Amino acid sequence: MNSTKDRVGLGLRPDLAASIFEHLDYIDLLEVIADDFFDSTRRERRALNTLSSQIPVALHGVGLGLASCETVQTKLLDKMARLFDEVRPEFWSEHLAFVRAGGLEIGHLAAPPRTSQNVEAAAENLCRASSMVGSKPLMENIATLVDPPGSAFSEPAWVSAILEAADCNSLLDLHNVHANALNHGYDAMEFLKQIPSSRVRAIHIAGGKLITAPDGTTRLLDDHLHDVPDPVFDLLEEIAACSPYPLTVILERDGAYPPMPQLLAQIQRARLSLERGRARHTATQKRLS
Amino acid sequence: MSTSAFETFLARIYVDSNARARFKADPVAEASHAGLSPDECAAIMKIDWAGLELAARSFAKKRHAKVRSLRPSLRARVQGFFYSMLGFLR
Repeated sequence: MNSTKDRVGLGLRPDLAASIFEHLDYIDLLEVIADDFFDSTRRERRALNTLSSQIPVALHGVGLGLASCETVQTKLLDKMARLFDEVRPEFWSEHLAFVRAGGLEIGHLAAPPRTSQNVEAAAENLCRASSMVGSKPLMENIATLVDPPGSAFSEPAWVSAILEAADCNSLLDLHNVHANALNHGYDAMEFLKQIPSSRVRAIHIAGGKLITAPDGTTRLLDDHLHDVPDPVFDLLEEIAACSPYPLTVILERDGAYPPMPQLLAQIQRARLSLERGRARHTATQKRLS
Repeated sequence: MSTSAFETFLARIYVDSNARARFKADPVAEASHAGLSPDECAAIMKIDWAGLELAARSFAKKRHAKVRSLRPSLRARVQGFFYSMLGFLR
């Protein structure tokens, strides 16, 4: 991470690209889904390199499955390492999730049972990934509609244990915190107090929608198809008030794209939340000195 | 706990609707058949059934979306975007 100040950026998606490039002055950084470029052509890679020379870029992996008892696949790590070498992003990130097991591809990020064995295995996978890529990934907490059975750790304790064991920093997804808190009955602000704020370097913000489960209960689905809700901006202010390091905030939007001014308004609102949090941080430091 | 066998079992009931149906009908038999330990069997019985169903649906949607995204037309669109972007930046 090269930045010495808070920044707010956007996830690069093909449908948003044209609008993004018309508004680069308002965007501090772009996050690129790494897996989309693992098997890309040389020309596509060149385009990505050109992009990274124009604006800071972060690579975001979705398919390694690092928080698994299974050893992370060498061929995938090799692809990530080669892409990292070519693009030279500011940082790369992945998820605290498993995505495959026993030869079965789940197709998305799944929460493993949160146990000490899983913490050890995840730390080993992270060491391996860091070694092959040549840089430690920021690790992201995921949203899960099902609380993983057989868990011995709370989610914040499990996240903290892996970050500590692997000596990695965090990409904190605040909508995932918000969704899991609603779906599994805990307080999102308390979650923030239980993770090491000194390890948080990047933030995801996004939106979702309420869905009805077969038992008639309501759950929040983290679909990235809706605007960022108010509680997520409140969480952003809170983490900015606690974090001692500059934060890179990335707005994720994966579809149902609104007009660009609507996305830029959310980016601007994120900046205001950061500023409010930093003002509180400064006031606290002054009181303590 | 959290062995590879447990993760494999979770993956199976997430992606295979028949396995999920068998698990719902007779959780002990399905979990034991998959080689889960008694502790793991006891743990999996406490799963949030409604959450499991929603998660399975969500994963299925993601898998289908992934297949769609690999179709040549979309890939071509992505390529086109990058080339237009290059022109814009230069």
